[in-house]
Amino acid sequence: MIMPKNTNIISTKDNVAKANYKIIGFGNIYMGDDGVGIRVIEEIRKRNLFNDYDNVILIEGGTSGIDLIFMINDSDKVIIIDAIDAGQDIGEIVRFNINDIEHYTKDNFKSFSLHDVNLLDVFNLIKKLQLKSDITVIGVKPKVIDYGDKLSPEIEDKINNIISLIQNEVNN
Amino acid sequence: MAENLNIEVTPISRVEGHGDLVINMKNRKIETLILRIPESPRFFEAMLVGRNWTEPSHITSRICGICSVAHTYASIKATETAMGVKPNNQLIKLRKLIFHHECVQSNVLHVYFLAAPDFLGVGSVFPLIETNPEVVNIALRLKKMANDMVRIIGGRAVHPITTVVGGFTKLPTEDEMYQMRDMLKSAYPDLEKSLKILKTLKMPSFERETEYLSITDKNDYALYDGDIKSSDGWIINDQDYLTKIKEKVVQHSTGKHCWASRDSFMVGALARVNNNFDKLSDNAKNYAEELGLKVPCYNTFMNNFAQFVEVIHSVDDSIKLIESILDDGLDKDKAMVDVKVKAGRGVGVVEAPRGLLIHDYAYDETGKVLKANLIIPTNMNYANIEKDMQAYLPQIISKSEDEIRFDMEMLIRAYDPCISCSTHMLNVKLINNK
Repeated sequence: MIMPKNTNIISTKDNVAKANYKIIGFGNIYMGDDGVGIRVIEEIRKRNLFNDYDNVILIEGGTSGIDLIFMINDSDKVIIIDAIDAGQDIGEIVRFNINDIEHYTKDNFKSFSLHDVNLLDVFNLIKKLQLKSDITVIGVKPKVIDYGDKLSPEIEDKINNIISLIQNEVNN
Repeated sequence: MAENLNIEVTPISRVEGHGDLVINMKNRKIETLILRIPESPRFFEAMLVGRNWTEPSHITSRICGICSVAHTYASIKATETAMGVKPNNQLIKLRKLIFHHECVQSNVLHVYFLAAPDFLGVGSVFPLIETNPEVVNIALRLKKMANDMVRIIGGRAVHPITTVVGGFTKLPTEDEMYQMRDMLKSAYPDLEKSLKILKTLKMPSFERETEYLSITDKNDYALYDGDIKSSDGWIINDQDYLTKIKEKVVQHSTGKHCWASRDSFMVGALARVNNNFDKLSDNAKNYAEELGLKVPCYNTFMNNFAQFVEVIHSVDDSIKLIESILDDGLDKDKAMVDVKVKAGRGVGVVEAPRGLLIHDYAYDETGKVLKANLIIPTNMNYANIEKDMQAYLPQIISKSEDEIRFDMEMLIRAYDPCISCSTHMLNVKLINNK
């Protein structure tokens, strides 16, 4: 259980360390719905939702891929927000732990022309390197990924739901 | 031996249509050979129009997560030139310092994570963890060092926030300067080990002489600032880029193709090393020699080694820059210079990790953008990549279709192209997905 810093309730478990959370939004805000992860972080900041939590760090991960390995340092739990196609409908939200992702085989892996390492590859790298990590991914299937600085209405509508999921994750 | 080929490669891990390679060959005659790129900076050009002079560097830094410092400074330099702003020496040194480490971030990522698996024959970075764990560990350590350098100077490891027109909103402290110097010095053993590993890699023996374009400077190995130099024998002031560099939209790609003295040219690490080899640090020159990189070099695959040589130079030069800033005395009062808003046009030319990057802005008297033109390095390289593929295909035609496909992908990857950096959507398959 995570308690906000300004709570009046006196915990009887002060000696129990609180889990440290990093909430990381990935994506590009100028590529339409791809920017949903960043928009969620912006919205959390705007609403000051975790201002009183000394165990929550918000990060705009951008499109930096491999750097996730460094971002997860010093955190017990990581929550990633991103545009994700896991076979669900447009606008539908999925939530999973990275250990739930099917492992790549060499046959279905292709690294043509990418100049950054795909985030999914980074998840596999984290698993392979056996980095201590408890990484939850919350994603929404995008409608439009193309140049533009606005989210589709269907995706914009899901921001509150995503934030609720994050709050549940952190508070429970 | 392939008589007929019909190769189409679409990166499955990215949004459909980004960076397709199409090869059609009938009876050993190439009918179609194109790289189809939908990415275009024109959206950003349109987006900048009407913006206040303080905004373009922050907007354009988001074009690419890997080249965000380069876009930031191409933008800042364009604005400063338009408004007649002259940064002081301390600012220029700090800018050069952060520039070095975006270059290290990007070059390390490409050499170790994207190119090395090709040459080590393991298909991707994952098998490397078992077959060559040292490579992965070195790569992560060097990447982290460069990230930390960019974070300390720019406020964030990507999309820097302290870097603004006129200077820095916050300077690193003296302690941080010493910390950065120590981090750099501790990188040398990893660089030495990397050399031993890279020396074992065999580069394909493909050569095609082309025109090489980069910026150049009489004192420095130019990354942050300089005139534009062609290996075909001309040097022009960066403000005059339009007199030499031309661009057009081609039918099969929304990315523009560029040319200068010939029908194509190459930009990037190999072009920089070819044009400015004498300005590399002695240490970097020694590494180049050890790797068999002699200039002029016409083998595109050697771009991978050129990138590594640049990492050595960047570490060497960064230590010199830090010591020079400390010797002069880090002066917080010189974190910013005055900016007086006025109408004008300015061009900012820098070296992004993957090559020449140009921002060209016109401002009105209130400091609003009237017009913007951006030319990104991958657009500059497109035509040259296609020419390389046309020259390389006949050399490998006796191979199987799969081998040809792989070799062609390797050739394209050698350019370290910035094709699909703009998006980050994930396609995942879940275990027991219902």
